[in-house]
Amino acid sequence: MSNDFSQFQDAFFEEAAEHLAVVEEGLLALEQHPEDLDLLNKIFRSAHSIKGTSGMFGFNAVAQFTHKMETLLDLLRNGQKAVTPVIADLLLRSTDCLKTLIDAAKTGSSVDDVTVQRLTEELAASQNASGSQSMPQGNGPSKIKPASAGPELYSYAIAWAPPDWLFQRGLDPQQIFKELADIGTLSQVTVDATKLPELATMDPEKCYLSWRMKFETAKDRQVVDAVFEFVREDSVLTITEEVQGKELEVRGEESPSFVTPDGTESKPKPLGELLVESGVVSRETLNKALSQQKRVGEILVEQHAATPQQISQALQKQQDNAAHAKKGTETASIRVDTDKIDKLINLVGELVITQSMLSDLGSRFEINQLPVLLERMAQLEGNTREIQERVMSIRMLPIGTAFSRFPRLIRDLSANAGKKIQLVLSGEETELDKTVIESIGDPLTHLVRNSADHGLEPPDERLDNNKPELGTIRLNAFHEGGNICITVEDDGRGLNRDKILAKAVKQGLIAENEKLSDDQIWPLIFKPGFSTAEKVTDVSGRGVGMDVVKRNIEGLGGTVKIKTALGKGTVFTLKLPLTLAITEGMTVRVGTETYIVPLLSILESIQPKAGAMKTVVGKGELINVRETYLPMIRMYEVFALQPEYTDPTKAILLILETEGERVAVMVDEILGQQQVVIKSMEKNFRKVDGIAGATILGDGTVGFILDIRGLLEIARRGVAA
Amino acid sequence: MAVATLETATKELNQQIGLPTDGSQYLTFQLGDELYGVDILRVQEIKGYTTVTKIPNTPPHIKGVLNLRGTIVPIVELRTKFGMPTIDYTMFTVIVVVVVRDRIMGLVVDSVSDVLNINKKDIQAPPEFGAKVDVSVLIGIGKSGDKLVALLNIDRLLTEDEQQQESAVANA
Amino acid sequence: MSKTALVVDDSPTMRQMVAFTLTNAGFTVVEAEHGKDAVAKVAGGPPMDIVVTDLNMPEMDGISLIKELRKMAAFKFTPILMLTTESAADKKQAGKEAGATGWIVKPFNPDLILKIIAKVLPT
Repeated sequence: MSNDFSQFQDAFFEEAAEHLAVVEEGLLALEQHPEDLDLLNKIFRSAHSIKGTSGMFGFNAVAQFTHKMETLLDLLRNGQKAVTPVIADLLLRSTDCLKTLIDAAKTGSSVDDVTVQRLTEELAASQNASGSQSMPQGNGPSKIKPASAGPELYSYAIAWAPPDWLFQRGLDPQQIFKELADIGTLSQVTVDATKLPELATMDPEKCYLSWRMKFETAKDRQVVDAVFEFVREDSVLTITEEVQGKELEVRGEESPSFVTPDGTESKPKPLGELLVESGVVSRETLNKALSQQKRVGEILVEQHAATPQQISQALQKQQDNAAHAKKGTETASIRVDTDKIDKLINLVGELVITQSMLSDLGSRFEINQLPVLLERMAQLEGNTREIQERVMSIRMLPIGTAFSRFPRLIRDLSANAGKKIQLVLSGEETELDKTVIESIGDPLTHLVRNSADHGLEPPDERLDNNKPELGTIRLNAFHEGGNICITVEDDGRGLNRDKILAKAVKQGLIAENEKLSDDQIWPLIFKPGFSTAEKVTDVSGRGVGMDVVKRNIEGLGGTVKIKTALGKGTVFTLKLPLTLAITEGMTVRVGTETYIVPLLSILESIQPKAGAMKTVVGKGELINVRETYLPMIRMYEVFALQPEYTDPTKAILLILETEGERVAVMVDEILGQQQVVIKSMEKNFRKVDGIAGATILGDGTVGFILDIRGLLEIARRGVAA
Repeated sequence: MAVATLETATKELNQQIGLPTDGSQYLTFQLGDELYGVDILRVQEIKGYTTVTKIPNTPPHIKGVLNLRGTIVPIVELRTKFGMPTIDYTMFTVIVVVVVRDRIMGLVVDSVSDVLNINKKDIQAPPEFGAKVDVSVLIGIGKSGDKLVALLNIDRLLTEDEQQQESAVANA
Repeated sequence: MSKTALVVDDSPTMRQMVAFTLTNAGFTVVEAEHGKDAVAKVAGGPPMDIVVTDLNMPEMDGISLIKELRKMAAFKFTPILMLTTESAADKKQAGKEAGATGWIVKPFNPDLILKIIAKVLPT
């Protein structure tokens, strides 16, 4: 393993994202409580961490920009400047900018230099205090070495009187001698013990001695100075260089500070530099040559080998590729509480014990020990289940990370729409799978925007309707069974039945005089192209979005439900599996094949009576379930299997729901219910229509997980054909 | 990287045991009375035939999928793929697990034979006509001693399915 | 027996980087998130061979931590290094007054950490 820090870059980006969230949330809260010093300290610490750590990886743009923010934050927390809305806004915009800078460092994506520059200036202007604002960079101009060949030996006379509290800072004179001896020869050391008091009055924790040394080394003066780095400022120290008999005194304090080993040192020097150093060419000649040097692209254009357009296209592609390559190598990582890992290790310990007890039992098994065997097996099962749960929990994160973007969103939305909105979050600690969290961000954002844009009324309209001027949007998360429920609730105008119906008729989604129940009307807003917004804003009302929301949620194996009351408000309830890696499924049999149907989509299972089926031209077979005709799909037909039953009255019909549509699927038998681990079919093969994924069944063979939407589409194609 | 290491290791081993190092090694197997070979570096493992789960609505040569230590691996029956008649599986029927690009796939073959070292100069271009299989999936015909081996280009052989699938989607 | 080190930083990345460097150099590392955590982790335990601490941390900052450690008999003479930035000169002075042995200036690399530790580690 290489001994550098590049392997920690992913960890840095993850941590930086968390710090950014802290800064953003903190700034939003600060707008409400400008006097909160704890808050300011927290924001400052996060900015400080980003600055410090980004510097470690050479992300100088990030470090410099954060430094500017930090300087302003420092003034705020020291009370030298007050938190005004203007400053809070500037810091928020800077946070956005910092986000893009960090993204750029991560993925190589482009940065809007103009914005960075403008914000940098604004930040500097807002500080309007003198003092150092520039980020110290590297080591400054490097010291020019004398142009001598072989190593030169310097000799120094060193007189050092350390402060008497030397030991109390954990320092030890012996260390200094050792370090000097490591870089040169200490030819002479004399101790001055004149300050040593009588034994009775001596404090053993104090240093009373001072030293004079003669020292020869081939190293630079800086290196010698560095030896005394931690004591120099508090000691009486003179380091005198003896050159050719002459003594050239340099006081320690005047010497340059500690040399920071520079990462670039090991890099090979450009050819030109080497040529200059070895005296082959002069620097002027080199600079002249360099100024004439052309880029490959320019040369090609000059020779008419390529057009400037071709070159710029190729350069664009080169950049894209670079960005791409960076993205490709990005590895997803997750931070886990050591607590969770410790528990897991304990569990594995138990598993090992159970396993060794079992193998011990197996090696000398007699039939009368069967009860013991069964008991051990039960123990093994318990261990395994618990390990499974714990391992899954490693991927579990609190949903708060997905909620954290909303305070800012609401702030901006209310400003844009001229509405007064308060956001109430609850259940942020509810845990769910990292992948699910990452995938629900966009659908949730759309729902929240929808509530702010369409749900909540403008302030005057609210006042007219005897409602408080301040509208409320609530986001809540809680566990329910094996699922997580997320609700997005507003106290706005509620869905308008008549408007939706009129729109749906106009769009041709329903017939003019179709009788629909409320529960059938509300889902119409999820239809593609549906939007009732009278005013098209930049965030919603273009009719894209709600259908995407529903599709995304269903893509995750979840559902969206609507509850609404005219004039009172609307609640969207998302129900999602806790994890994408495991699903609760019903195992069913068709002939000899076993399939898994996601439990979340099963409404009921029935055995139809004779005469409940009818065939409609162009629509295929329909089945009458409590006076509603649902399309019926014979799974064996769609998947070309050999079934046990072809007569629906002998088989089982599963009533399934997909994207608000109900369908009856015919199988031979229901085998049971079980949790299955979802495996990808695409990894080694490809997507198969009607199949969402594969899993390993109890007997070690592969079973397929049904994709109901896909199944329905295949069946429809069959009917249409 | 693992492949490169294996390659180096194979070369070194070849040198030690006195085999020529300028050729490649091929795992050969039998389909009917023909001998076929695949580059040994592409072979992950060989396992006995076990029941596979049939994938609905796939071409007949896609035998199904198999659970290979938790990974779902598609299995291709080479006989069907090459348009040869199917035969009952015997105790010699094996699945040769190969790596094609980043994917793992299994090939059902009648039986495996030897690992042969074939020099580049002993590989001839595939005949334009008369071969039992589509020549585009062949690297060439290799000669080892008195044996003739049809050397398979498994990248081309096993990615064809996807291309067909893709064009089918494009036409839909 | 391997040498022991206490690494204190609220930034997990920074902490891990220092801990990683020390572990590679053969140290047994105890990590703490902030001053309070550090005090809790070392109080009553065996002494450490070296302490590396950040300064700006929640709960208890680095300066207070150094003061607390110097009050403990086991840490009276232990080398304590602070992680600082170049710009924080006043912090360096405050750290020294609290009893810090030395400092490591960010950005640093593994070699620098080890070099500075070698400088102050008791022989």
